[in-house]
Amino acid sequence: MIRNLRELWQYRALLWNLTQRELKARYRGSALGFLWTFLNPLLLMAVYGLVFGVIQRNQIQHYTYFLFVGLLPWLWFSSSVGAGASTISDRRDLLTKVRFPAQVLPATVVLTNLVNYLLSLPLMIALGGIAGIWPSWHVVMFPVVLFVQLVFTLGVSFLVSSLNVAFRDLQQIVTNFLTLWFFVTPILYRPDDVPATFRRAFLIVNPMSVIITSYQGIFYEHRLPHWRALTVVTLASFLLLWLASRVFEQRREEFAELV
Amino acid sequence: MDAIVLRNVSKEFRKKTIRREYTTLKSELVQFLKRRQSRAAPMAVTSALRDVSLTVPRGRTVGLVGRNGSGKSTLLKLVTGIYRPTKGTVEVNGRISALLELGAGFHPDFSGRENITVNGIILGMSRREIRERMEEIIAFSELGDFVDEPVRTYSSGMYARLAFSVATHVDPDLLIIDEILSVGDEHFSRKSTAKMEEFRRAGKTILLVTHDLASLESHCDEAAWLDAGTLKAYGDPAFVVSEYRKAVAESEVHAETTPGHPPVVAVHPTGRQPRSGAPAEVGRRWGTFEAEVTSVRLQGPGGEERTVFDAEDSLEARLHVDADASLAHLSIEVSLVSADGTLLWRSIQPMPSATHASATLTLERVGLADGNYRLDVAVFAEEGRVCCDFQKGLHGFAVRSSGSSPGLVRIPHAWTVEPPPPSEAQAS
Repeated sequence: MIRNLRELWQYRALLWNLTQRELKARYRGSALGFLWTFLNPLLLMAVYGLVFGVIQRNQIQHYTYFLFVGLLPWLWFSSSVGAGASTISDRRDLLTKVRFPAQVLPATVVLTNLVNYLLSLPLMIALGGIAGIWPSWHVVMFPVVLFVQLVFTLGVSFLVSSLNVAFRDLQQIVTNFLTLWFFVTPILYRPDDVPATFRRAFLIVNPMSVIITSYQGIFYEHRLPHWRALTVVTLASFLLLWLASRVFEQRREEFAELV
Repeated sequence: MDAIVLRNVSKEFRKKTIRREYTTLKSELVQFLKRRQSRAAPMAVTSALRDVSLTVPRGRTVGLVGRNGSGKSTLLKLVTGIYRPTKGTVEVNGRISALLELGAGFHPDFSGRENITVNGIILGMSRREIRERMEEIIAFSELGDFVDEPVRTYSSGMYARLAFSVATHVDPDLLIIDEILSVGDEHFSRKSTAKMEEFRRAGKTILLVTHDLASLESHCDEAAWLDAGTLKAYGDPAFVVSEYRKAVAESEVHAETTPGHPPVVAVHPTGRQPRSGAPAEVGRRWGTFEAEVTSVRLQGPGGEERTVFDAEDSLEARLHVDADASLAHLSIEVSLVSADGTLLWRSIQPMPSATHASATLTLERVGLADGNYRLDVAVFAEEGRVCCDFQKGLHGFAVRSSGSSPGLVRIPHAWTVEPPPPSEAQAS
């Protein structure tokens, strides 16, 4: 894992340049350009707000804001993993023609989506402001949660992107699995809405639910994250990243031959 | 210190398809379970390189030649570190810049300038180096104002020029080039050759794959010839190139005189089939076979059997003929035909009536331009009225000369240049 991350650090210039390029390329040529960074999550929020806030009459106060707090970090995670799955298998041009640390590719995807998330934060705060909710001192924990999610997302991305080179079915499986994962994570609803019998199991096996509820705690409920759960998730994320790095290391030799 | 040391390097690739299916989760799982059961599941493997040992001293320019699929690119990728050897070790000393493909990582929607930055980083330059060399790179590429236009609007020549100039400004110790110097127009290709020469003078090591044998001879210190994954020859470029050309010519002659399609059997009204050599076949061998050419042997000046000749060599064709005793007025016919089917020359020689006879045709000097030639032989009876055995395209040879000249033939010639008369010399 150390070697993996050290190489990433060595190639940080490349990582950063590719990220910049991804960000610029994403909306290049479209009329609204960079505005889509804000429009995309807003429109998605409008859809969920309509279905669950207006049609289903959800009882949660300031539902659209609540939705936004959880939806934005989820988008960071799901776009990273979803796009990350094929990030190595799609870059035949780079992998077979230049010597190049392959982990830069999934890392670029994760970083690009992280920047996107950070850029949409002002929008989220503005939206809270309309509802009369302003960030409290609890935001000091925000970088911590952000870091945990970064480690977890990197771990999943490394694992999925390296395995997808040999097993192309994975990217299809991942896409579908992410939909399921989205609905079992308390983004559209509160953890309390889950029937008590399996509420605990629900939260323990899903690191993303701990991470998302931590964000909701900080920005929506004005309380600190559940520190014990967050510690467990932190350790689990590092374990995952370590494991993913090992798998990545073992498989990277075959990348150039199999893509 | 040596720049590149390959020790007994072999590279095998697992075949990607199993029963023409791609490996999927399912097939891998099935394979895994099968291996559990039967322990040894043989894996389909292709061998790209076999036990190659090669040492390139620092500051040398080495050219790699070989036919398509002989393992040249695999070798370059092993040296670059994109592949790891299955067996053996690869040792490389110094910073590598590999031009296996021009414009790795170019993004069509970005300007030339933006792509220089990313491509440069990918090739191993630091951001500072790129900033420092940016103007130099742009100047070398001769793109002018186009450098700020998106790359997708470039012509392929412009694209290649931009990519080549980034790659050559990396300032590597070891430059690896895979058949790409032929990009761009005449002017740019001269410029890139000059750049290569500059690298050579600066004492850099260069490893390049090329099909331009003439430039290989003039620009490389050493040459290596790969054939079917093994190193056939390594050393002086002139020697390696001539060996390689000979081998290519031999295999071409072989390919041209071996049928590539299922034969259509020709049966003459006499119903006879030849007793020796190729079977009767429409368009290749026909006749009554009352007499037949049993063997054709091409010999060089020393009497050794050959298929490749220099234009200055002598050539002897020895033919053996078997004939029925009853036949009279036999004659042999030999035709020299070029690769495009033009009859260059034909000669007919009467033969004595005998059951076994042999004849030798001697050409004092081959005198033909480089190329592959067919030698069609035939034996006739009754003063050429009855075709007993016509063999078309069954025999052939190639001409490969040192210092080729254009044209169809190499006429024996001499030049005499007169010095100017003394009065003129004084005047000037």
